[in-house]
Amino acid sequence: MPPTLLDHDTLRQHIPGLDSVEPCFAGGGFKSVYAAVVAGKKEALKVLGIKRITDPGADPDLAEAFCLEQAARVRREVESIGKCQTPALVKLGAIAPVEFEVGNEKYIAYSEEFLEGQDLWKLITQHGQLPALTELVQLFGSLLTCVRELWRHGLVHRDIKPANVMKTPDPARPFVLLDLGIAYAVYETSLTVRPEDRMPPATLRYLAPEMMQPDFRERVDFRTDLYTTGMTLFEYAAGKHPLAKDRDDMMRTISRALHQPPAPLRQHRPDLPDPFCNLVDSLLKKKPALRPANLAMLFQKLEEIA
Amino acid sequence: MKLLAQHGAANGEKARHGLQSGYIDGIIFSPRDITAGKLRDQLATMTEIDSAADLLFDPQYYAGHNVVSPEPRLGRLDTCEEYGKYFRQRPRRELEGGTTVISRDITDCLGFQKELDLTGLIGPNILISRSFDSIEAVIAKNFIRLTGQVARKLKPGRPVYATLAISREALMDRKELMDFLTDVTLLGDDPPDGFYVLVASRNEDARSDIFNADVIAGWMMVNYTLSLNGYAVINGYSDILTPLLGVAGAMAGATGWWSNLRTFSLGRFLPAGGGRLPIQRYLSRLLLNRITFFELDQLRGVYPEILNGLDTDDRYPADQGSEPERADEVLQSWETTKSLSDDLVHKDVKKSLRLCRKAIQRADAAYDSVEAYNLRLDPKSNRDHLLAMLEGLRNFAQLAELESTSFDAD
Repeated sequence: MPPTLLDHDTLRQHIPGLDSVEPCFAGGGFKSVYAAVVAGKKEALKVLGIKRITDPGADPDLAEAFCLEQAARVRREVESIGKCQTPALVKLGAIAPVEFEVGNEKYIAYSEEFLEGQDLWKLITQHGQLPALTELVQLFGSLLTCVRELWRHGLVHRDIKPANVMKTPDPARPFVLLDLGIAYAVYETSLTVRPEDRMPPATLRYLAPEMMQPDFRERVDFRTDLYTTGMTLFEYAAGKHPLAKDRDDMMRTISRALHQPPAPLRQHRPDLPDPFCNLVDSLLKKKPALRPANLAMLFQKLEEIA
Repeated sequence: MKLLAQHGAANGEKARHGLQSGYIDGIIFSPRDITAGKLRDQLATMTEIDSAADLLFDPQYYAGHNVVSPEPRLGRLDTCEEYGKYFRQRPRRELEGGTTVISRDITDCLGFQKELDLTGLIGPNILISRSFDSIEAVIAKNFIRLTGQVARKLKPGRPVYATLAISREALMDRKELMDFLTDVTLLGDDPPDGFYVLVASRNEDARSDIFNADVIAGWMMVNYTLSLNGYAVINGYSDILTPLLGVAGAMAGATGWWSNLRTFSLGRFLPAGGGRLPIQRYLSRLLLNRITFFELDQLRGVYPEILNGLDTDDRYPADQGSEPERADEVLQSWETTKSLSDDLVHKDVKKSLRLCRKAIQRADAAYDSVEAYNLRLDPKSNRDHLLAMLEGLRNFAQLAELESTSFDAD
């Protein structure tokens, strides 16, 4: 895997328009995020190392296609963000996707707006006070808005999870959904499959049951995002993942995602009103047809709860 | 939950009584059995009796496609010129070629109904006769999708329901059913306001066709998934299953006029086989079933709990061998079905399921008591339906993910 922590001079050399770059503040796997100043404005610079298939016996065409697909995924993310018009989704920055090579390694970089705040995963793991109803309703509304806006463009995010939601100090956009890297245009391109494990490219801990079916390409629609919205809301509200225990292996969590419903949210948060808990629980149904797909109705119910 | 009368031949005296007494909330008219002119008169009369009554019209378009017979009994659908404005006998090749023909037929059908004093409009559709994995199912989905789109253009100012007509065979394949429901619960920007759901048995008398655990569970699932997505669901010919469908979220059920309108079947549109009129029956709340009037007569003296204690009990006079006027039978059915729905359908689906199970257990115990009197019941009066209902409820709860053991992270 290529190192994604590049020094500032290297970044400035390959990415036009950068005024300055601050140390990397987030990342993991093959991605690093830097705070950068572009045309006088602070932005989040995302640098992704493009993985190669290093097996000498690998088919060179397949290896090339693998690299191209990673770059295409980033361009798809940028395209997806560009299409959507809601403050609840992260906005693009000034740097369009740029591919470059350092030594023998390939990279692709682009920028998004810089958001102040903390992601929900960090807040959950701090084990602080559990969020109040008002905040949860705001989060619910923000995520539903994103799901609706993405679906308006035929897109499914597929990776809504606490780590991809920023809580910001801006009252106009209290929660912002990040990382459309695996957003999937239902009626256009085929889904990517990770070659190393033949699983769809989503975070396993939050994977919707239909994503684990062999014919998942035909089954995905915005109800997959409703499921991950429900998982995120549940975990943030309860401070506990609905289907995983900390020391469980992933297969047990996946098995539960397929076969066992989570305990009702009200069991963890008896202080929250039943209609709110029921609404979150309804998003966690295993069968997509059992999740309420009428978004207008969901917004209305949320309004009534608020 | 509402109960509607499923209209058949003859005038509307029964419906008049039903509406006046509050046993029913409205009527679904059958064009096979009434001319358009008389229909207009009936609509005016019923509105006069009850201005809040639900007045609907099943266009019976499916009869023009699915009834395969050299001499179909289409009745007024065939002979009343006005119905020719929308009723067509379409072969499959005309419906599978694209959506133009379907759109035109929906436009004509809803346009015809728009001119009538109906409280809601029902879109046309064909019957999915074998499987959800079929060309018929694709055509039916196109009808459903286009019903909402056409309604938006026509602006009828009243709710529009898409017809979803399914054979009991199709309904019994759980996987195909779930895939179908996954599709029809995602109808895009112009969905209909609701659905008019029909489940077809092989003939009107095939009790075991509908009293089957998989059929009951599947029918309940259709109601559950559609209603949780905000659709109003009206079930035609649901008869005694009406309360169970209400538990699953149905807005309304319906049962007919005559005993051959308690189950939906295309047999009604096939040449008649003749035969005697059926024996009048009494719908028992306790048994969740109908028994013949002479069974009632034998039982009521020794086991008075068999009587419902409702107004229409008087129409089965003990001093006349408990034999009712033929037209009174349906009033008794309506009142009892309505009363059962009132008792069993609760806002909380889990609570309703518990109430239904208790009602079935009570019925089972009542059958034990009846047997103790050494009375041999007619095959249609026995307790075979109870097991199907109980298993149907269990299968539904499982399919709807209502009663699995949950994971607790604590």
